[in-house]
Amino acid sequence: MEPIIEVKDLYRSYTTYRGSLRKQKITVEAVRGISFSVQPGEIFGLLGQNGAGKTTTIKMLITLLAPTSGTCRVLGYDTFGQEKYIRPRINFIFGGESGVYRRLSARDNLRYFANLYRLDPKERERRIDEILELVDLTDRADNLQETYSKGMTQRLQIARGLINDPEVIFMDEPTVGLDPLGAHMLRQVIRRLRDQGKTVLLTTHYLPEAEELCDRMVILNQGKIVATGTPAQIKGDAATLEDAYLNLIQKGETP
Amino acid sequence: MKHLFASRSHNKPPFLAESFTMPRSVILSTMILQMKQSYARNMFQFCLIANPILNTILLYEMFRNSGQENFASYVVLGSGLMAIWGCICFSSAGDINRERNIGTLRVIFAAPAGFPAIIVGKILGNTLLSLVSLLISQITATVLYQAPLALISPGYFCIAMIALVVSFVVISSILACLLTLSRRTTLYMNCIEIPFILLCGFSFPIEILPSWLQTISRCLSPTWAVELLRMSVDGVTDSSLFWHKLEILAILSALYTLFAAWLYHVMDRRIRIHASLEVS
Repeated sequence: MEPIIEVKDLYRSYTTYRGSLRKQKITVEAVRGISFSVQPGEIFGLLGQNGAGKTTTIKMLITLLAPTSGTCRVLGYDTFGQEKYIRPRINFIFGGESGVYRRLSARDNLRYFANLYRLDPKERERRIDEILELVDLTDRADNLQETYSKGMTQRLQIARGLINDPEVIFMDEPTVGLDPLGAHMLRQVIRRLRDQGKTVLLTTHYLPEAEELCDRMVILNQGKIVATGTPAQIKGDAATLEDAYLNLIQKGETP
Repeated sequence: MKHLFASRSHNKPPFLAESFTMPRSVILSTMILQMKQSYARNMFQFCLIANPILNTILLYEMFRNSGQENFASYVVLGSGLMAIWGCICFSSAGDINRERNIGTLRVIFAAPAGFPAIIVGKILGNTLLSLVSLLISQITATVLYQAPLALISPGYFCIAMIALVVSFVVISSILACLLTLSRRTTLYMNCIEIPFILLCGFSFPIEILPSWLQTISRCLSPTWAVELLRMSVDGVTDSSLFWHKLEILAILSALYTLFAAWLYHVMDRRIRIHASLEVS
């Protein structure tokens, strides 16, 4: 089967300048030659420490960042240059409370984002009701977002990420800040998406969650892949995935 | 390697064709959202309501010993236009920063509706809402100074108002692209407010500026829209001159639109290459 996400020898560096008279160029290599592919319907995990390059990789995949070099393709299209064919068919959820309008209700937020994805008005209202129920926000749907708790805001963000019924969903630490009930709800949503044949690419720090959800995963360290495979393959002889992960990060092994 | 979806790479799917050719609903929904969001902010309310009142008082005091008789075109229009421009600068420019800080900039940037349609909707929302400033200026002038409602050519005034909105939208689109490229939007929005008020002749005729500055003024689309508005308020005695100025404004607006479209492509590439879209 052909991959739905294809990353080959991908590099991304950031350049900044320090000083005013004599400007000093500083280049940081966030992603250093990673390669992986994701099959349709898979839940794929990107694991790694802070600064490992997970978010940079996701931003390249969701068309927000240009790769410095290498191949970065989603749904068969390049993420830099062919983004207009990708954007209607994907969506993304970032952890935390950002990404929605504070002075709008959940329903108005979703209505607006649905318009940006050109949903038919009838389909839009049906979809909004369905998603609000899915993330358990129906009762507070018409209250302003600024009155929401952190967990509710995050659930609204999840709803926003599902508004266009995307084929591929990118989730960057989606359970950060969620209470256990919220995290459980999100895991159920992810499983439901898998049952519907959707592809999910997910980053997380929470290893039991990755083990529970992911079909396959890669572990990134300092911009490079240090392990790839199913959770069982990565765990190998270690007692837990966390032990295997810590060994890989500490040793800085390369595949 | 042959891809599962490669067959779509050169033939735009029908739903995509629709998405990119009919952004009117996106513009409309963004415009309504922008009006709601802007009006909810105290700073915008100040720019929209308090600014035209203060500007009217300021301009009246400057104007009353000038020997000029066209009170409406300089005091009422001038103060209203200054307030409209203030709203556009502090809201349209500030909005990019606000969207960046609350994390919605990346969402609207990557939306299939297209960032240009969203930007136009935002600017249109702010511009239309800020037209209230003109009304507030007139009410202030009437209440405080018993200034009569002077509108000699209402038909031409309607045309001039549409021209004004178009001129502000096209110039704001260019500014929005430039401001999206940078993270120093607060600095720039403060830098552009007063120079435009002076150069576009909002509160005095540009003929009193040095000739080299008048050349710059003539290149700015709002200058022509303001002249059309003044003509319609004072009464259009030479209709061919009105249409001639409107033609120049139309040509300038078309050039601005082309420039904004080119600038958007440059911006779209640069912010993704230099990672300047978001707060890092």
